[in-house]
Amino acid sequence: MGFHDLAKQQKTVSRILTNALRRDQLAHAYLFEGPKGTGKRQAASLLAQAYFCQTKNDDTIEPCQECVNCRRILSGNHPDLVWVKPDGKSIKKEQVSNLLKEFSYRGVESIRKFFVIEEADKMTAQAANSLLKFIEEPSPQTIAVLITEQAHKLLDTIVSRCQTLTFIPLPEAQIAEQLVQQNISEPLAKLSAAVTNDIDEAVDYCHDEWFAKARQLVIQLMEGTMGQSHSPLLMIYDQFFPHFDEVHKLDIGLDFILYWLRDILAIHLENEKDIVFIDQIDILKNQALKSSMQQITGKMSAVLAAKKRLSANVNLQSVMEQLVLRLQGGSHHAV
Amino acid sequence: MQDVMNSNNHDTALAMKFSITKDKLVENVNHVMKAVSSKTTIPILTGIKITASHDGITLTGSNSDISIKSFIPLEENDEEYATIEKTGSVVLQARVFSDIVKKLPSEFVNIEVDSRLITRITSGSSEFNLNGLDAEEYPRLPLIEEGNVLHVRTDLLKHVIRQTGFAVSTSETRPVLTGVNWNIQNGNLNCVATDSHRLASRTISIDADENAEYKNIVIPGKSLNELSKILDDSSGEWVEIVITESQILFKTKHLQFYSRLLDGNYPDTNRLIPTESKTDIILSTKALLQAIDRASLLAKEERNNVVKFRTLEDSIEISSQSAELGRVFENVELQSLEGEELKISFSAKYMIDALSRIESQEIRISFTGAMRPFLIRPVEDEGILMLILPVRTY
Repeated sequence: MGFHDLAKQQKTVSRILTNALRRDQLAHAYLFEGPKGTGKRQAASLLAQAYFCQTKNDDTIEPCQECVNCRRILSGNHPDLVWVKPDGKSIKKEQVSNLLKEFSYRGVESIRKFFVIEEADKMTAQAANSLLKFIEEPSPQTIAVLITEQAHKLLDTIVSRCQTLTFIPLPEAQIAEQLVQQNISEPLAKLSAAVTNDIDEAVDYCHDEWFAKARQLVIQLMEGTMGQSHSPLLMIYDQFFPHFDEVHKLDIGLDFILYWLRDILAIHLENEKDIVFIDQIDILKNQALKSSMQQITGKMSAVLAAKKRLSANVNLQSVMEQLVLRLQGGSHHAV
Repeated sequence: MQDVMNSNNHDTALAMKFSITKDKLVENVNHVMKAVSSKTTIPILTGIKITASHDGITLTGSNSDISIKSFIPLEENDEEYATIEKTGSVVLQARVFSDIVKKLPSEFVNIEVDSRLITRITSGSSEFNLNGLDAEEYPRLPLIEEGNVLHVRTDLLKHVIRQTGFAVSTSETRPVLTGVNWNIQNGNLNCVATDSHRLASRTISIDADENAEYKNIVIPGKSLNELSKILDDSSGEWVEIVITESQILFKTKHLQFYSRLLDGNYPDTNRLIPTESKTDIILSTKALLQAIDRASLLAKEERNNVVKFRTLEDSIEISSQSAELGRVFENVELQSLEGEELKISFSAKYMIDALSRIESQEIRISFTGAMRPFLIRPVEDEGILMLILPVRTY
């Protein structure tokens, strides 16, 4: 990847970085902020390459991708590039102390050093505070890049010391359109475009059988919770849990449910072009007739609450049981 | 199947080939293994880099903080160690490689690498095929410019490390204090370490270019400790020192020890050292050390390990007490006492640390009052200076 690739999706970011490189005026700390799949990590890696590359093109500022430094940055073997990402749910104390040590040492090969902290919001306040000093008065040849999807979770004191670059997602419609051009069915394209901002990831999803099956199951579940034909609770034990057996899988499932509800809301608002489950429009319309906007937003907050419980390590089954009951409860009141 | 794979092996070009005596290989692998850590975040550093060149074989191990290069010449003192058939280099998984070479059956080892970096290690009737890594991925250690080389005798360097390294800070709050600050000027090397409660300084004259001047070279205390372990005690040998912008290199005959330097400005320690004194005493190093050691038996039961110190007419009284255990008094004879009477308290540990690193028979201690830091120096000044901050108790 080069800056011209980055510019396709992140025009502003690419321009700011190339200008800074050209004038040799890189900030000492950057905050790359934006939703998942917008190329933040690739941009950090690219910036590191441009910083260390030995045979960089002086006009285009593109790193050569071929010299020892460029290659070692991609393979993770460059000794003066320190790349930290959360080990599990948080950035561990040991990782922070290693980071502090690296900040206080000079480089291995030269005095240039480059730091990348992925998911910087997952640092404890104490860890973040201990980094402040280094971000505030770094040695002149040190550059730090903090990456986060949730900039508001970072300490203000950190944010104020970084130059913030915002990575914008491609509009959903645009991703879906590109997918359809690749011979992917529209319903699947729309759903994967809703789940991710990364076009490559979206393509992967579309070719993933798990993803298609998950979509079917969620449609079945949503039919069940709003109608009286078959019991959704039985259905989640039979089919749902075996399929959504891990936290991240269930998290995607909950997103699907959220899109379903959003679709019903879109029908209420007569905004049909935004509908994700485009092939289920009859069922959606039917459900829209049966429920008020208030009920739908109530259900959406139930789903958001379930997502929160999921990230707090609550048992998967109990999260879903409670959610299904609340989704059903809403419609029963309506009757 | 086996045959097909073998014939494939022959098709690929040879990237490196040499044979070496097992003992020499094991000895040198052991040297570089001291720098290899399993807890590294850089994958390639789990390996040892092996380079065969026309004059010998070089092994390199590193944990990025320190790196050790070990050189095996083709022959030395009429003994043949290695023969090179094809020069080249490869990186092999360190732990596995070192275990393998130790257990090889024969006196000789052949190592052969093909262009896909498959490494064949044969010895006697045993054959290992290891997957090698690309040596290009390995960190490049700074190149040595022959111009700016300093020379220090090995035993002297070890002394200097022993006399300063103990005083570095172990707290990460001020990282630069975890190192020893080296300054080189006018053919003198001055080393200072402090944890802000005590300070140790040693100056020696070194064999360097008159104009060689280096300031603020802060070497991590941990690295110096490792270096000291590696340096051979047989005195008389010289260590060559090369300083680059990011690393310092210590070079002995066949070993090269690299350490990264600490970043940041070392505080100016000269202004901490008092220039005048109000009370000066001269006494036997050993007598004082032993007395403090005894007093510390009770003092260390208390949390802070503090001993009290009081001047009498021609001796000093050292005392300490533990609320639970009891108390101890001891008088130590003085050679001389000049200036005011004094009562002072200090950490027994700091005093023992400092005294045990002074080899001279007699020391001079200069106080400037009970609240000010005091200086310990050998009577025949050898460029050693220890400074300790007192504790408020009297």
